[in-house]
Amino acid sequence: MTWHLLDEDLRAYATRTLAAPGLWSTEAHLAACGECRERLAAAATIDFKSAIDGGWARLDVALDAPRPGPVERLMITVGVPDHTARLLAATPALRLSWLVAIAVTAALTATVAVFTDPVVFLAVAPLLPLVAVAMSFAPGIDPTYEIAVVAPIRSFRLLLLRCLAVLSATTALSAVASLFIVEYGLRATGWFLPSLALTVLSVLLSPRLGAGPAAVVVGVGWAALVAATVGDLLVFTVAGQVGVGIVGGIAAVALSRQRGTYDRYHVPNLMRRAS
Amino acid sequence: MTAVQATGLALRYGRTTALEDVTFTLRTGVTGLLGPNGAGKTTLLRIVATALPADGGTLRVFGHDPSTPPGRLAVRRLLGYLPQDPGFHPSFTAFEFVDYVAILKELTHRATRHTEVARVLSAVGLDDRRRSRIRTLSGGMKQRLALAAALVGDPDLVILDEPTVGLDPEQRLRFRELIADLGERKTVLLSTHQTEDVMSLCQEVVVLDRGRVRFEGTPTELAGLAAGRVWTSAAREAGALASWRTGTGLHRHVGDPPSGAALVEPSIEDGYLTLVGAAAEASAIAGGAR
Repeated sequence: MTWHLLDEDLRAYATRTLAAPGLWSTEAHLAACGECRERLAAAATIDFKSAIDGGWARLDVALDAPRPGPVERLMITVGVPDHTARLLAATPALRLSWLVAIAVTAALTATVAVFTDPVVFLAVAPLLPLVAVAMSFAPGIDPTYEIAVVAPIRSFRLLLLRCLAVLSATTALSAVASLFIVEYGLRATGWFLPSLALTVLSVLLSPRLGAGPAAVVVGVGWAALVAATVGDLLVFTVAGQVGVGIVGGIAAVALSRQRGTYDRYHVPNLMRRAS
Repeated sequence: MTAVQATGLALRYGRTTALEDVTFTLRTGVTGLLGPNGAGKTTLLRIVATALPADGGTLRVFGHDPSTPPGRLAVRRLLGYLPQDPGFHPSFTAFEFVDYVAILKELTHRATRHTEVARVLSAVGLDDRRRSRIRTLSGGMKQRLALAAALVGDPDLVILDEPTVGLDPEQRLRFRELIADLGERKTVLLSTHQTEDVMSLCQEVVVLDRGRVRFEGTPTELAGLAAGRVWTSAAREAGALASWRTGTGLHRHVGDPPSGAALVEPSIEDGYLTLVGAAAEASAIAGGAR
């Protein structure tokens, strides 16, 4: 034989990753060349050993990996991928202390509403996800903010994931709290659409204003709207809810269109404190 | 190979000029970014790490332009970043935190990710603390954990903002070992105001002062700036740029030596002092003249 197989072809043949027609010519050559057969035997031994070692290492890591916490386990059980569950577990507003604060606020507001007017609860409940979402992205509150900003993960995806998780949590808590005012019938659910619309609006404004200021602007706007219509509770009528839904829908479309802006540098004025 | 090429970078905060005409090149190895507090080191690192946009100039990281979205994404995929004040989710364990950062770096496949997390935790010597809650770790351990997070995914460019602050001497030595190993294969940009870190680790050094690059060269060249300007004597010299009593009882001086002075070999600290001290004096004189 005046020529021999390349090392990479031998390795590929040994690991059964060599495709035709290279596979056919390699086999034909091996049938005729004793030297390459010996090299194949050596390559196969090395590859087999590295495959076994790699397998043990992976098994070792799998057995050694700490068990996720209860919240993550719950999410994984209901079908959330493990990496998404971990991203959500790092959402500041989903930490127990925040959830307790939100639950207490919702319960207190509902209690006040029972003794005064349901509008108190209907007006305050939509602000809870607004605050929680702002908490999830404010640089001073998310301890890993700077690391997350320079990570290649799509910021918009992370933002939507966290918003969804925060909205789910606050909606569940507000829904429980709204049982306090169940005697007001359907009107007791009047907080739900505004909470979605306000959250989407604040996320929409956050690239320009920053997460905190956007939540403040939207929250103040909401308070002004409720105060202006408190006489007839227009916002919580069917017409008012349709209006809120339309505003939320338009904001959602605009949000989808500006998704690229979330992958830019983070809002500069929030990070210009240190030199 | 050129890893980072910065040309004329500038950044202003309102009326304050944070960086002006900053030009430097990074290659494989460890480059130290040295400068006094407020020199603009963190701002510069944030620009290279794609956390802040520059107002002017050009930046290329492995040929990618971070001012465009695809270029920025490409840079972020090659980057490991340890910020000045790395934050942690205190309820996470060490493993969970690094795993979280690995997910942010797009490592979604569970087995691959966990193998990588185990690798970096082992590299920083936190193997036995992987199950520990972060709030139970010491300051040095947290700093090593932050480094582990920066090393996830074996990035080609590693940016470390004052990684040795708050470490005791032994921890600092361990850190140096780690960073020196890394510098054999990767490009490391290390901000510090510890001149010993620069001397013991860096092949190149960039000195930044009041937003401008005052020096770019090797640590030996930096020390060489003070050649013929460092001397010892029995008493303090009032006219020197700096003058202090050493452990031997002799006074060491940096500045313009008197004739017949006993000149000694300058250190990198002397070079740095000559550079930054002279600039500070010039600025004070210019300020006085106005």
